[in-house]
Amino acid sequence: MKQTRVFTLLAILCLLVSVNLVGAQDGITELTILWAEWDPANYLQQIGNEYEAETGIKVNVIQEPWGSFYDRMAVEWAAQGDAYDMVVGDSQWIGQAVEQGHYLDLTDFMVSNGIDKTVTPATLQYYGEYPAGSGKYYAYPTEGDAVGWAYRKDLFEDPQNMADFEAKYGYPLAPPETWAQLRDIAEFLTRPDEGIYGVGVYTQKDYDGMVMGFQNVFFSWGADWFRDGQVLGVVNSPEAVEALEFYKGLYQFAPPGTGNAFFAEMNDVFISGQAAMIMNYFAFFPALINPGVNPYAEVTGFFPGPKGPNGDQFVSLGGQGLSVISYISPERQEASKEFIKWFAQEEVQKRWAAVGGYTCNINVLESEEFLTNTPYNAAFADSMTFVKDFWNIPQFGELLEPAQTYLTGYVVGGEGTAQEAMDNIAEAHQEILVDAGVIDG
Amino acid sequence: MLKNQAAPYPTSSQPQRRRQISDRTLSQLFIWPTLILLIAINIVPLFYSLFLSFTNFSAIANKPAEFVGFANFTRIFNDEDIWGYFALTGRYALISVGLQTVIGFGLALLLRKKFRGSGILTTLILIPMMLSPVVVGLFWKLMFNPSYGIFNYLIGLTNPATAPDWLANSQTALWAVIIVDVWMWSPFVMLLCLSGLSAIPDYLYEAAAIDRASPWFQFWRITLPQVAPLLLIAVLFRTIEAFKAFDLVMGLTGGGPGDATQMISVEIYSQAFLGQFRTGRASALAYVVLVIIIAVSNVYIRTLNKVREG
Amino acid sequence: MAAQSPAAPRLPVNFSTRVDEVSSRARLARFIRVVVVIAVAIIMLIPVTWMTLTAFKSRPDAVAVPPKIFFQPTLEGFVSLLTDRRQLTTEQIAEEQKRTDLTWIDQLALSRGQVITGPSDYPQRLLNSIIVAGVSTVFSVGLGLLSAYSFSRFSIAGAGDLLFFILSTRMLPPVVVTIPLFLMYRALGIYDTHFGLILLYTVFNLSFSVWLLKGFIDEIPREYEEAALVDGYTRLQAFRKIVLPQSLTGIAATTVFCLIFAWNEYAFALMLSADRARTAPPSIPSVLGTGGIESAAIAAGSLGFLIPVVIVTFALRKYLLRGVTFGAIRQ
Repeated sequence: MKQTRVFTLLAILCLLVSVNLVGAQDGITELTILWAEWDPANYLQQIGNEYEAETGIKVNVIQEPWGSFYDRMAVEWAAQGDAYDMVVGDSQWIGQAVEQGHYLDLTDFMVSNGIDKTVTPATLQYYGEYPAGSGKYYAYPTEGDAVGWAYRKDLFEDPQNMADFEAKYGYPLAPPETWAQLRDIAEFLTRPDEGIYGVGVYTQKDYDGMVMGFQNVFFSWGADWFRDGQVLGVVNSPEAVEALEFYKGLYQFAPPGTGNAFFAEMNDVFISGQAAMIMNYFAFFPALINPGVNPYAEVTGFFPGPKGPNGDQFVSLGGQGLSVISYISPERQEASKEFIKWFAQEEVQKRWAAVGGYTCNINVLESEEFLTNTPYNAAFADSMTFVKDFWNIPQFGELLEPAQTYLTGYVVGGEGTAQEAMDNIAEAHQEILVDAGVIDG
Repeated sequence: MLKNQAAPYPTSSQPQRRRQISDRTLSQLFIWPTLILLIAINIVPLFYSLFLSFTNFSAIANKPAEFVGFANFTRIFNDEDIWGYFALTGRYALISVGLQTVIGFGLALLLRKKFRGSGILTTLILIPMMLSPVVVGLFWKLMFNPSYGIFNYLIGLTNPATAPDWLANSQTALWAVIIVDVWMWSPFVMLLCLSGLSAIPDYLYEAAAIDRASPWFQFWRITLPQVAPLLLIAVLFRTIEAFKAFDLVMGLTGGGPGDATQMISVEIYSQAFLGQFRTGRASALAYVVLVIIIAVSNVYIRTLNKVREG
Repeated sequence: MAAQSPAAPRLPVNFSTRVDEVSSRARLARFIRVVVVIAVAIIMLIPVTWMTLTAFKSRPDAVAVPPKIFFQPTLEGFVSLLTDRRQLTTEQIAEEQKRTDLTWIDQLALSRGQVITGPSDYPQRLLNSIIVAGVSTVFSVGLGLLSAYSFSRFSIAGAGDLLFFILSTRMLPPVVVTIPLFLMYRALGIYDTHFGLILLYTVFNLSFSVWLLKGFIDEIPREYEEAALVDGYTRLQAFRKIVLPQSLTGIAATTVFCLIFAWNEYAFALMLSADRARTAPPSIPSVLGTGGIESAAIAAGSLGFLIPVVIVTFALRKYLLRGVTFGAIRQ
C-alpha cells in the first residue's frame, strides 16, 4: 500500500537524521580548533595533519566566515560550551575572554616551558597578554599580522611614468615613505581611461574593515582612541579629523566598486589590474605572488605602511593568538596544551612559516631563510615592530559599531563632514565607556 | 481509490470492537500537536524576549539579566537615529511595494488572456521569487559593481569611471536595494493578481460589452474592484516583509554606506549581534517593530474588509 | 471574487459579445502584449543567466572590464566549489608540474597555482539542506493537514482567535525569537542538529500550511464525508479515504511553498547551526576561495542550490497558482 511506503521513507529519513546526530566522542583522539575562514586556517589544518601523523590525535580546524566569526565564538562562550577545544581568537577579543573567564590562564604553562621567550615581545603583548603589562598570558601568538601594501612595479618603474612623476611632484617615483607621497602617487596613477586607479583602501562596514584601514592613517597622524583617561577631544582631535579627511582623499583614487571592500576585494582589484597600490593584511599576500591567481605576480612589490606628517609610523594590527577554552574537561585542556607545546617548537614554527603561516617565533622571523622566503616577508618583519590595535577591552564590539557607521558614512557615503563624523564617534565612545565604567563621565 | 480498501461497508461488529473516537477528541488530537509546537517554538521565545526587553541582558555577558524597567524603550523613543531608520524603512516599503504593485498588476493584466507560451512565460517570470535572498543579494552585488558588473552596461552606462557605484553612494544605495526587491517580488504580486483576475466571472464583462462600456470603464468598474482584495493582500504581505527586510539588505550593503540603508530589521540585528549583543535593547526594539506591524496589518485588514463589503 | 458570488449565472456564450474581439486593433494590442511580456521575462532572467555564465568563467574572465559575454568556458568555478585548496610557492608549483599522475582536476587547480587538499563541505551542506527542507516540509504539511481538517470540519471554541493566533506567529521579525531560541536550543542540546532545524522550519511553515490547507478542505463538500459516516465509516476512515485524496492538489501547493521557504531560509540557519547541520544558504556567501573572491565558485554554488528549486517550480507550477488562489482568498 502507498502509505506503508511513505512510512518506510519517513523511517529511513528519521534514521538518517539520528545517525547524523550521534557524533563520536570518546577519549581525546581529536582536538577542535575554531578559526576564521581563510587561507591561514588551511595552513593550520596542514600543520594539524602533521600532528596527527606524529601523535595519532586528529586536529580539526573549523572555519567560520569572518563576518560571523566573533558572533559564533561569543555565543559559544555565553553558553559555556565545549564545542571547541581551542580558538585562534582575534586580538581584540582577549579582554572580554579573560574578564569573563572564557580563556584558560596559560601563564604558568608558557613560562615554565619557556614558550614566552620564543616569540617576539610585541606579539606576546598584543596577542597573549591581558591586561597590558600584567605578565599574564592567555594565548600563544600564532598568526602575526599587520596591514601592509602591495604595488605594481611595472607602473612604478615605467620610464615614462618616472619622468612624468618627477616633473610634476619634484621627487622620484618610488614606493612611498610618507602618506603624502602615497597620496601623490595615487593621484598620479589614477587613470580612469586606462582602467587603472591609484590606491585601494578598506571601506567595509560589517565587523572591522573600515576601522582597520583608517587606523593606519589615524595613528600615523598622532591621533588615538584614548589618551590620559580622555575620549572627548582625543578621538575628535584636529589630527584625527585631518587624518579622516586624508583617508577620504585616498578613497577618491580608489577603483570603482570598492565602497564596501575588505581584504578579498582588495586582492580582487589588484588581480584584475585596477589598482596600482592596495592595502591589505600580509596574510592575503601569498595569493598575489602566485602567477596562477595574479597575472601581475612577477611585477608585484610590497612595502610597509608609510609615515605620517610628524614622522609617526603605525600600522593596524591583525593576527591572532591560540587560546584554550576554559570550559573543556581537564583532560582536553591538557591535550590542548600538549598541542600548543608541540606547535611552539622552533622546528614546527619553521614548518608553519614554510606552508604560509606568519610565525611569531623570534628565531624564525630573524632567519635569513624567512626574510628572503617571499618578497613581502621583510616588510612584514619590519611592520611587526610598529603595530597598534583598536580597543581590546570587553566593549570593543560596541565601540567598533559607531566607528564603522560614521566612518563609512563620511568616507563612502559622503555624509556630513569629517569633524562631525569624529565628533559623533567620540560621543558614542564616551557614552559606551562611561556606561562600562572604563572612564569617568 | 476505494477499490483497494478491504471493505467499504464495515461489518457491524467493527464499531464495538474498536472504541469509537469522538469528533471532539479527534479534533483535539488533530489540533494540539500544531498548537503545542507553535507555543513551544514561537510563543515561549516571544514571552522570553518580552521579558528580556525590560532587562539589560547581553547574550554574551555571562551575567544574569537585570531588570531595568522601561529604560530600553525610553532610550529607543529618544533615539533620533532609530526614528530615522523607521522613516527609512517606511520610505523603502512605500516605494518598493508601490512599484511592485504597479509592475505586478500590470504584468497580471498582460498575462491574463492566455496566448501560446503564456504558461511557460509566467513560470519564467516567477523564478526570482523562488530564489534565496542571500544568493540574490550576492549576485546583484556582483552585477552592481561599476567595473565588472553588468548592470551599468545594461542601462547604457559603459564607462566605469563615470558610471554610478550604486551600492557605495548614500543617495543611490537605497534605490539599488529597491531595484532588487522589486525585481524579486513583483512576480509575487503578479501571481496574486493573476489568481484574482482569473476569478472574475466573464458575465460581468459580457454585460459591460452589451452596454458598450469603454475598456477604461471596464477596468475601473469591474477589473480593479474585483482584484482589489487580492491586491491589498499582496500589498499587506509585502509591507510586512519590507519591515522584516534583512538578509537581502545585509547581502547587498550591510546597511551602509554609513547608515544609508540601515533598515529597522538590520538595526535590530546589529544591536543583537555583530559584536554588540545588546540583547535587552534589541528585544525592546523588536517589540516596537512587532507592534507597528500588527497595527499596520490591522489598518490594512479593515480597509480590506471595507473593500470586500463595498 | 468567485467566493462572493458562487451562484453567479454562467451563461453559455456561443457568440462573441465583445465587439472588439476580431478587429486589427485587437490583434495589434495582442502583439504588443506578447512582446512586452517576453521583454519582461527576459529582464527577469538576466540575473539568473548572468550567474549561470559566471559559474563557467575563469577567474580573470569573471572580473574582466568590460564584462565578458563570450568567453572560454571552464569548470574552474566548480572545482573551487567542491574542493579545499592551498596556495603553492613557485618552487612547489614547478615540482608539481613534473608529476605525471595528476588528474585533470588537479591540473586545473595547479594552473591556478594551487593544490587540492580535499573535498569541500559544500556537498554536505547541500545534503543538510535536502534533509532539513525535505523532512520539515513533510511534517508541516502533515500536521497542517490535520489541524486544517479540524478547523474546517469541527466547531471549535474560539476557532477564529486560534486561527488568527496561528497566522500572527508569521508576523514576527525572526530576530525577536532568534536569541531566546538560541538559548533554548543550547539548553536542550539541539543546537546545530538536523533535528533542531527541522523542528524550527516545521513550526514556521505550520501557520502557513494550516491556512492554505483549510482553504482547500473548505472546498471539499461535507456531504461526501457525511455519506461515508452514515455508511459506518469512522471519522478517521472518512478522513483518510475521502478527504485526503480530494485535497491532493492543496497538499501539492502547500508542499511547494513550504519547501521553498525551508530551502531558502537563511537567518535561523546562520544562528542555530554551526558545523554539523549547517545548510547551504549561510555557507554560499562564504565560498571565498583563496586570496580573494572567486565569483565563479560562488556562482557555481548558487547554481547548484537554485537548480532544485527551479525544477520543483516547473514540475509543480500549476499548483502554485492554485495555492495562492485558495490560500489568499480565504484570509
